[in-house]
Amino acid sequence: MLAVLPAIGEGFYFRDRVSWQSPIPASELVTVDQAKAWGDGVIWVDARPDDEFASDHVPGAFSLNEDHWGELLAQFLPNWSPEKKVVVYCSAESCNAARDVAKRLRDDAQIQNVFVLNGGWEEWMKKNR
Amino acid sequence: MKVVWRVLDLIVGGIFIYAGAIKALDPVQFGFDIDNYKSLPWFISVRLAFFLPWLEILCGLALIFRFLYRGGLSILTTLVLVFIGATIVAKARGLDITCGCFGHASEHWSFVQHTAIDLAILLALAALLWIELIRGAHHDQKN
Repeated sequence: MLAVLPAIGEGFYFRDRVSWQSPIPASELVTVDQAKAWGDGVIWVDARPDDEFASDHVPGAFSLNEDHWGELLAQFLPNWSPEKKVVVYCSAESCNAARDVAKRLRDDAQIQNVFVLNGGWEEWMKKNR
Repeated sequence: MKVVWRVLDLIVGGIFIYAGAIKALDPVQFGFDIDNYKSLPWFISVRLAFFLPWLEILCGLALIFRFLYRGGLSILTTLVLVFIGATIVAKARGLDITCGCFGHASEHWSFVQHTAIDLAILLALAALLWIELIRGAHHDQKN
């Protein structure tokens, strides 16, 4: 019971930085149609493993996964500019890689305007077949 | 021999204080780590992510200061058992999980590495619990 008190205090402190109902807040999710409507203002980031990226990916997407974070981030950053929106995707809605990469882009690389593609690569393929 | 057990108290308590503190600093990431096990809905994972680190810290302090000692030991033993079980189940389901138990430090641990570390901690906790029960029995006999 003693642990509940600091937990509540911390929950209050983090109240604006955590989504209590879903792992990704609605404001950080974007649909394929919305992202496509942003046109050239989008940088696509593929958070899937290297082999899946190599087999196919969203045209123009950069590979950025946690297996080679430092190396891939160094390749990505020169292509990023603050006015662009970054859309990260992984395999499907159930995968966590896009969420984790989006968080690291915000926390480690201090990049704002980072979104997660709802439904991931699976959804992209459905809309672009 | 008493000194050996006391040192073990301090080591195990210290490990849990460190593990709890590192997760309490980034509860959102810990929530993601729990969610990766795909065993609980998010609204429970995120609440556990705020609660468990503090539970570990307080139980670690209980071991160090020998205050509410048996309770602390029992809770930590249960936590480690649940965690080992969840890890094995996740592995059997083919999930590629990050342990998350020691924050970024444990990010690249393999399944074998973090199971070995958990088992070592479980062994230490079981030894402390066992010696505490023996001491309790001796104390009862004296009275």
